[in-house]
Amino acid sequence: MSTERAAHDFPIGLGGAPRSYVMRRTGATVLAASAILLVLTVFLFPYYWMVTSAFKAAGDVTAYPPIWLFEPTLENFRELFEDLGGLEALRNSLIVVGVSTCLALIIGSMAAYALARYDIKGKETIALEILLVRMLPPIVSVIPLFLLAKKFGLFDTYTILIAIYTLMGLPFVVWVMRVFTQEIPRSIEEAALIDGCTRLQVLFRITLPLMLPGLAATVVIVFMFAWNEYLFATMLTSSHAKTLPVVAAVTVKPRAISWGVSSAAGVLMSVPVIVLALLAQRYLVRGLTFGVIKD
Amino acid sequence: MRERYGPWLMLTPCFIVLFVVGIYPLGYSLWISLNAYHPTNPSFPQGFILFENYVTAFFDERARHALGVTALFTFSSVSLSLVLGMGIALLFNIRLPGVAIARALILIPMLVTPIAVGITWRIMYNPELGVINYLLRLVGLPGQGWLGSMNQALLSVIIVDVWQWTPFMFLILFAGVRSLPKSPFEAAAIDGAARWQTFLYVTLPMMRPVIVLAVLLRAVDSVRTFDQIFMMTRGGPNLVTDLASIYLHRVNFKFFDIGYGAALSWAFLILLLAAVIAFIRYTGFLRRATEAG
Repeated sequence: MSTERAAHDFPIGLGGAPRSYVMRRTGATVLAASAILLVLTVFLFPYYWMVTSAFKAAGDVTAYPPIWLFEPTLENFRELFEDLGGLEALRNSLIVVGVSTCLALIIGSMAAYALARYDIKGKETIALEILLVRMLPPIVSVIPLFLLAKKFGLFDTYTILIAIYTLMGLPFVVWVMRVFTQEIPRSIEEAALIDGCTRLQVLFRITLPLMLPGLAATVVIVFMFAWNEYLFATMLTSSHAKTLPVVAAVTVKPRAISWGVSSAAGVLMSVPVIVLALLAQRYLVRGLTFGVIKD
Repeated sequence: MRERYGPWLMLTPCFIVLFVVGIYPLGYSLWISLNAYHPTNPSFPQGFILFENYVTAFFDERARHALGVTALFTFSSVSLSLVLGMGIALLFNIRLPGVAIARALILIPMLVTPIAVGITWRIMYNPELGVINYLLRLVGLPGQGWLGSMNQALLSVIIVDVWQWTPFMFLILFAGVRSLPKSPFEAAAIDGAARWQTFLYVTLPMMRPVIVLAVLLRAVDSVRTFDQIFMMTRGGPNLVTDLASIYLHRVNFKFFDIGYGAALSWAFLILLLAAVIAFIRYTGFLRRATEAG
């Protein structure tokens, strides 16, 4: 059986196989490895370019031909933080995204639990309607939200952004958590109910801890979409509640970009998402496919 | 009693957010779309005009053009990233030391903030100083106009979208490849099927539900692309990259024709919904998904 397998996979240890087979396999492996390296180079180059540009001095970043070896500087980050209000934007981003992620998790988990555990009339329709939120193009709802925010004095506040990002996160939370809940046997919860827990206690003491992987997946996805969001952030703020993407976009003027500072903003925005996503990599697929596909 | 009202109580906060932030603003937008609403006009507010905005939208050449660009952009980007993502998923499904790291690193493009993606590519596409033309010249090819060229601008922004979202396709398709059962492949091998035959007649049919889901998720996102294009071209040159979202942005925030913008938004929304429903019907996706869930 093991030799049968070897014909379909690329085995690492090849002891015992005929010589010609070994050579053909080694050739294929080298080819595949080179192809993988080529793919990685193409897909990582733009990010590499962004990161190096962020640490280049003003003269180096626009040099032609491009400079590959350079003396790294933090000047771009200093300018971003001190001159362009990057520090306040970072704080705003953390507050807005942090609060909305928590809210979406709490509100969405409760809804998901109800949809998964109770026989509610039309619960499939409810779930689908929540999913439709995900399909709504932001450009469609940004105008009415802008007008309403002005009308109710919510323009340029944390509140309006938090409300929008909470809504944006809900479809993911509801769908992923619903699927995860369905996978937890009812008998565990019933035992807790018999022991005298209320339904809410069961949710917070028994079910939620069992759903930690699902939580990890949704936290990353919800965080990512809110953290990267630009259109609402730029249209609904002016000075007080500006988030990082808004500040990053300001570094791009109609005719010119301050290349170094723009790249620094890009690095600052992308690093938290990349770190979080790679930590929760195992659960990303489920999160992104609303719990439908298992990895 | 608790069993009866408990679930609705748990759903209430979700419904409140959905209504206040989602449905109410959309309803408000529907109302605006039936009005002449032009804040910078001296006669503001101008009042109720029923379907006049929708009639204008129907004959709007620019809107039709934007829809065409959006369809072309979405179709090209989704199909290219599907093919590439599938190839990479099969390539990366190999036992080699370090391939797990490669599987993680390839995800980076989809994690980068769209605004930063737009900025970085605009820098790299720069015709005089950009690194892409530098590399082209290095191998003896002429530098291209990229974002500034009427012929290449749309292709350039599609390349960016494909670059950013192929990893997303890869991630989902790779999970699909991994979940395939072993026995059909063994059977195909015993029957002496060639690699391409195995792929065409075994892998693809079994992957169909995963592919359909990946395409649906990707297309819905691609249709509303805004940030990257806004950073790179703002719809130019000469409107060749004028996606629906960019055109809507211009109607609302440059011409301040809010009533008309709302009508266009609703028309766009309805077309989008129709397309999604047609796709779901055609692929039988929903039936499968609910059966699986």
